[in-house]
Amino acid sequence: MTYAELHTTTNYSFLRGASHPGELVLTAKALGMGAIGITDRNTLAGVVRAWSKGWALGMRVLTGCRLDFADETPSLLCYPTDREAWGRLTRLLTVGQRRSKKGECCLTRADLEAHGAGQLILVVPPLRTDVHFLARLERLADDFHGRVWLAAARPYGPRDLVRLAALDDLATRTGAPMIAVNDVLYHGPERRPLQDILTCIREKCSIDQAGLRLEANAERHLKTPAEMARLFPRWPAAVARTMEVAERITFDLSQLKYEYPDEPVPPGKTAIAHLTDLAWSGAAWRYPGEIPEKVRKLLDSELALIEELDFPNYFLTVHDIVAWAKAEGILCQGRGSAANSVVCFCLGITAVDPTKPDHDVLFARFISRERNEPPDIDVDFEHERRELVMQYVYGRYGRDRAAICATVIHYRPRSAIRDVGKALGLTEDVTAALAGTIWGSWGDSPADDHIRQSGLDPDSPEIRRATALAGEILNFPRHLSQHVGGFVLTKRRLDETVPIGNGAMKDRTFIEWDKDDIDDLGLMKVDVLALGMLTAIKWAMDALGIADMADIPEEDPAVYDMLSHADSVGVFQVESRAQMSMLPRLKPKKFYDLVIEVAIVRPGPIQGDMVHPYLRRRDGIEPVDFPKPSPEHGPEDELRLVLGKTLGVPLFQEQAMRLAIDAAKFTAEEANGLRRSMATFRNLGDIRDHEAKFVGGMAGRGYDPAFAQRCFDQIKGFGSYGFPESHAVSFAMLVYVSAWIKHHHPDVFLAAMLNSQPMGFYQPAQLVRDAREHGVEVRAADVMLSAWDCTLETGTVRLGLRQIVGLSEDEADRLIEARTAGARTLPQLAASLASPRRSLELLAEADALRSLGMDRRAGLWAVKGLAPEAKAQVDAPLLALMGPPAEGRVQLPAMPLPAHVVEDYRTTSLSLKAHPVTFFRPLLSEMGAVTAAGLKTMKDGVRLCVGGLVLVRQRPGTAKGVVFITLEDETGSANAVVWKAAFAANRRAVMGSRFLVVHGRLQRAGEVIHVVAERFTDLTGRLAEMRLEAPAPPDARPAPSTRLVRSRDFH
Amino acid sequence: MNGAAAALGLFVGQKATDADALVPELAVADAEPAADAAALTALADWCARFSPAVALDPPDGLFLDISGVAHLWGGEAAMARDLIMRLGRNGIPARAAVAGGPGAAWALARFAQAGAILASGGEAARLAPLPAAALRLAPAEAAQIARLGLSTIGALGVLPRDQITRRFGPGVVLRLDQALGEAREALTYRRPPNPWFTRLAFAEPISAPEDMARVTADITARLCARLESEGQGGRRFELCFHRLDGVTQSLVIGLALPGRETGAIVRLFAPKLDTVDPGFGIEVVTLAVEGVQPLGARQERLDEDRDVMPEEGVAPLVDRLTNRLGEAAVWRAEAFPSHDPERAVARKPPLSPMIGSPALGSPVLGEGWDPERPRPLRLLRRPEPIEAMALVPDDPPASFRWRGVLHRVRRAEGPERLAEEWWRRPFEDAEPGRARDYYRVEDEAGGRFWLFRDGLYQAGAGPKWWLHGLFG
Repeated sequence: MTYAELHTTTNYSFLRGASHPGELVLTAKALGMGAIGITDRNTLAGVVRAWSKGWALGMRVLTGCRLDFADETPSLLCYPTDREAWGRLTRLLTVGQRRSKKGECCLTRADLEAHGAGQLILVVPPLRTDVHFLARLERLADDFHGRVWLAAARPYGPRDLVRLAALDDLATRTGAPMIAVNDVLYHGPERRPLQDILTCIREKCSIDQAGLRLEANAERHLKTPAEMARLFPRWPAAVARTMEVAERITFDLSQLKYEYPDEPVPPGKTAIAHLTDLAWSGAAWRYPGEIPEKVRKLLDSELALIEELDFPNYFLTVHDIVAWAKAEGILCQGRGSAANSVVCFCLGITAVDPTKPDHDVLFARFISRERNEPPDIDVDFEHERRELVMQYVYGRYGRDRAAICATVIHYRPRSAIRDVGKALGLTEDVTAALAGTIWGSWGDSPADDHIRQSGLDPDSPEIRRATALAGEILNFPRHLSQHVGGFVLTKRRLDETVPIGNGAMKDRTFIEWDKDDIDDLGLMKVDVLALGMLTAIKWAMDALGIADMADIPEEDPAVYDMLSHADSVGVFQVESRAQMSMLPRLKPKKFYDLVIEVAIVRPGPIQGDMVHPYLRRRDGIEPVDFPKPSPEHGPEDELRLVLGKTLGVPLFQEQAMRLAIDAAKFTAEEANGLRRSMATFRNLGDIRDHEAKFVGGMAGRGYDPAFAQRCFDQIKGFGSYGFPESHAVSFAMLVYVSAWIKHHHPDVFLAAMLNSQPMGFYQPAQLVRDAREHGVEVRAADVMLSAWDCTLETGTVRLGLRQIVGLSEDEADRLIEARTAGARTLPQLAASLASPRRSLELLAEADALRSLGMDRRAGLWAVKGLAPEAKAQVDAPLLALMGPPAEGRVQLPAMPLPAHVVEDYRTTSLSLKAHPVTFFRPLLSEMGAVTAAGLKTMKDGVRLCVGGLVLVRQRPGTAKGVVFITLEDETGSANAVVWKAAFAANRRAVMGSRFLVVHGRLQRAGEVIHVVAERFTDLTGRLAEMRLEAPAPPDARPAPSTRLVRSRDFH
Repeated sequence: MNGAAAALGLFVGQKATDADALVPELAVADAEPAADAAALTALADWCARFSPAVALDPPDGLFLDISGVAHLWGGEAAMARDLIMRLGRNGIPARAAVAGGPGAAWALARFAQAGAILASGGEAARLAPLPAAALRLAPAEAAQIARLGLSTIGALGVLPRDQITRRFGPGVVLRLDQALGEAREALTYRRPPNPWFTRLAFAEPISAPEDMARVTADITARLCARLESEGQGGRRFELCFHRLDGVTQSLVIGLALPGRETGAIVRLFAPKLDTVDPGFGIEVVTLAVEGVQPLGARQERLDEDRDVMPEEGVAPLVDRLTNRLGEAAVWRAEAFPSHDPERAVARKPPLSPMIGSPALGSPVLGEGWDPERPRPLRLLRRPEPIEAMALVPDDPPASFRWRGVLHRVRRAEGPERLAEEWWRRPFEDAEPGRARDYYRVEDEAGGRFWLFRDGLYQAGAGPKWWLHGLFG
């Protein structure tokens, strides 16, 4: 007996199907089915996953779709028989999705007729079959003669057999033979609760209210062919027909052969010839004078491989985009494995010379014969102008051939517990508390003690049920979103390969498949990404007259010296607290050290406990040795080859993969599967298999199992934050360039950073303070002197009007125009503005009217005095001509300095007048507090206290409940470590304070200084004193709370 | 937010969960603006004992005009103390101030020390040090004024009025003048509504049963006449007998539909009058009506058979049954959307509107009874075990023995598989796959039964069979 299940709903029919596509395929295989068809509702989003799982298991997966119509047409399952029919199905879905709003698909009978050729159609009968259905079925059976079946299920409802007999009768009368399906919602009956929960989330009700919207039983799972035969006792032919249908389908996703677009190739020239010409002329540009022999050789071999694998069009397409961006003056840099290619370097796609010492270019890492995967080049563009590049791509290839990939938004711990809790009828506060307990931990259900901490009982059945179900729903796809910049480009119409739907934004479209699907199918993708630091670097390079990043002097010892002292505020990637405490330990001396610096402070190496061994070996404390396999298993230096550069410690993703292949003897394919399942969490069950195989494989060959386990833990850490070496190389380039600018031109650096906000780790106030410490004079934003951007005024930085919170760029432009035209007074400026009252009040409150002779109070009073005329200007221009009446001068109370500082922070998020902590220094001195700068002179182990504004709070998942706090006072910043016990005892002060004194013990390791906190004094309440005009009246109530800086809290 | 929370650094506008994480022992309750408003209104009505003129100042204030009444408490200060003390005794923290006008009183009550008394004329001096926020300004206005350094009423007061008006509109100057007693302010006072309540007092205490029946009829007629004249009807009538010794005994009757027919109401009270113990005599009877709602005057027809809605025809019967048997004993069965047969029936008030009534055509899925899902007319309260034999999985039994009688199955339909509602079980016991297979069977005598097999058929373990209901 054979049977193929042709009606299955995966979890890509969002909030309906309760199994991953892979689970369904795996189960179908285990049950001995002949084939399994995937039919999600008006979408093909899940088919690639099912298909690639089937391919791996040797299980036939039929790719189809359940079409639900907006008109009277009954729902039907549509299976394309060949490539052309597939193209018609994807176009049909594109038509339906493009005319609907995001996530919906509106189809009519006419659409089906227009795209129906070559489709096999299984009609899904409605709950009640009536004469109308009979008529519609007859029409379908006539129109698609010989290709229509009537799908009948056996759901264990009240009258199954009566219904089956009636359907069989209908089938006989219409000539649409009855075919058996089980209308599957999940792979096994144990998923029924989850499916019920999905129904509740979809219907926005709790399980108690869901009633008959739920399924009555757990029967909608995959069943064995024998069981299906038993369920259709009188209709064996209906079961047998499933295989007949499967036989008639010749289409397979592997037929989506990829053809690269050929726009960039000039007529009359072959692609490879064009690429070769471009590469050599690029080499001549990169290496003025003579092209080194090494480069020549590499170019020859790379070009030969590119030609052999037929990828020249891909390189030309990427080059075309990059060349256009460069011509437009848009800074860009390729990242990722492309950095291993000399061709990419010569084409100007990447900026790092791969022939430099320490870089052994492994083109094979980029593309290889064995992997037979298309190359994948990611290019970062300036954040603010990336949109232009995307528009260029659309313009060049047309919207029917270029589209953005989807990103599948999965259930995360927070959203999972929130939705599941709601469906189970838990109240909002309980689900919120449960969701709040998850401090960024991944993949696990929340830990019991976290639940207890939030005041809930982890043993209560409701909570247990909620967390268990939330664990199951985790990683279920929730909806599709647009990938940030992954373009798919094709030669033929893209909508004949994959459906294209609408994005949430107007005029945005994206395909139904994500980048992994694209990889699986071998389609071409170019990532057009955005990077804020490139905006800043571009601004700085323009200001300094530097044309290309490669023109910046290399290996400048002063730059490395600065970084070795952790003087890296604002520098790309290495500015975080963790990076800053690593820099003095690593003491980078050359470019490759930066590559390691970038890669080492990452969850992967930290979780794998690779950081300390590396540092010890680097400092010569620990000998560099390489674990060896037993002699009978292989050469003893097999790891030296893989790990030599990093002193025997695996730090990069490539090394981990090589470990899997060389030491654990994974096949290249298995290693690839490992990388994928780590990177995307798509097959959670597989991870355990990989782990066993990896650790077992290495141990079996004579390695220390503990070492093997550490290696695997690191690979797991790579999962969400994978950092391959080539990627680190590209980033290290930006580290060097930004550090070089910061060291040699701190004023330019500050202006560039402020003009590229929001970006990076620090807020404007810290960037400004850091620049002033480096001798940069900074002047306040001013209505008559500032541009929109921060500008350079002979060695000083003038803050731009962009610093003023709430002021629009448009208004600033009007202001500057009026100023240039000669406006010198408030009424004149007001006349030029679109909303004069709001804009001028913002300027006045930001104290930006000083050049007009007014401080913020006088300014605000004056601006408010303009109000009636300003309003009149909009409503009745004639009245405005009369001008404001003459007024007697009013003496407003002078604003005390602390209040000015508070207002500065409120309106421009920084103050040049004074640091807030200055006003509390007497209080802090009384408490015996040391300044942040003073910490440097203190001895290790000394007990002391230090106070300041709380800038950052971090509780990294890798640090087992430890909280890091960064404080800032008028002299600098100080770091405090709060161990778990101290945190538990001082939760409120640690988590909630904005002005804090930390009492504890000084701990120094070289230049890295921490205060290990023991107790805290929370001075947040005292900040309100800064607002006071004068000593408080005796019966006044306390002033409202004051927030100067919003601390950045990472959990 | 209370003082303790403020002292811990929590603030209004903070996320509840954030605050909770900071102060794990924090007690959080949802804001109920409607309930707050209702409570404030109730408090205003309570305050009528101090002064008839009480005005609401939402969300948390009340104005009492105490002109000419303070002497009853021995002066303004004593009166304020008495008010605060009584509120405090009821667990309501409050602050009070007495001044010549509402503006000054508002400012002092909120921004000066408790119990401030200010005579008219002293406003300017007394209010000068108070913050501008004491002027009852909109929060945005108050923030702007503070930003100009005009942090006190005094600082604001010395500025030219026309310049203030130019900048902030007339509102700020008006508030300033009101606070300083230079502008009058009219308050909207609240008067308690006239309740549906009436009272009969007797010169001689009564105790004879027939007297009690008579006064019941009298007082009911009196209130019903008022209901009639105002076009209202009531659903709940409470009759109270106040005895000489201060004991009060009350009788309550309820109506299914609003009513005001004296005879009907008296009939419902009559059987309960025996339960009233008159003791040494009853001096006062009161009657109160609740659930008062408009009820149109009914035009009675000249002919005898009145054209009434079916509900109205049943209503008197329902009322009589309910008042005799108790409210819980009379109900109507209503379909409840659940796959679980035991839970598919809900008890509804007898005259509640019907959903999915068959007269309106086939019911929407999930509402009413689904004819495609046959259910027995009589569902046994508990399924009864039967002995049954079935040969093959999914097959109905060939025969079964119920209450000692053997039934041979002639026809059968099924199984309909109904899985248990896993979320109603304790987490550990829940087996989502656990199901009952229901069969509709007909025996040789034509009797139709609803049987089920508990759990899926498994070889070896003999499945248990139950009878759960009877069709027709």
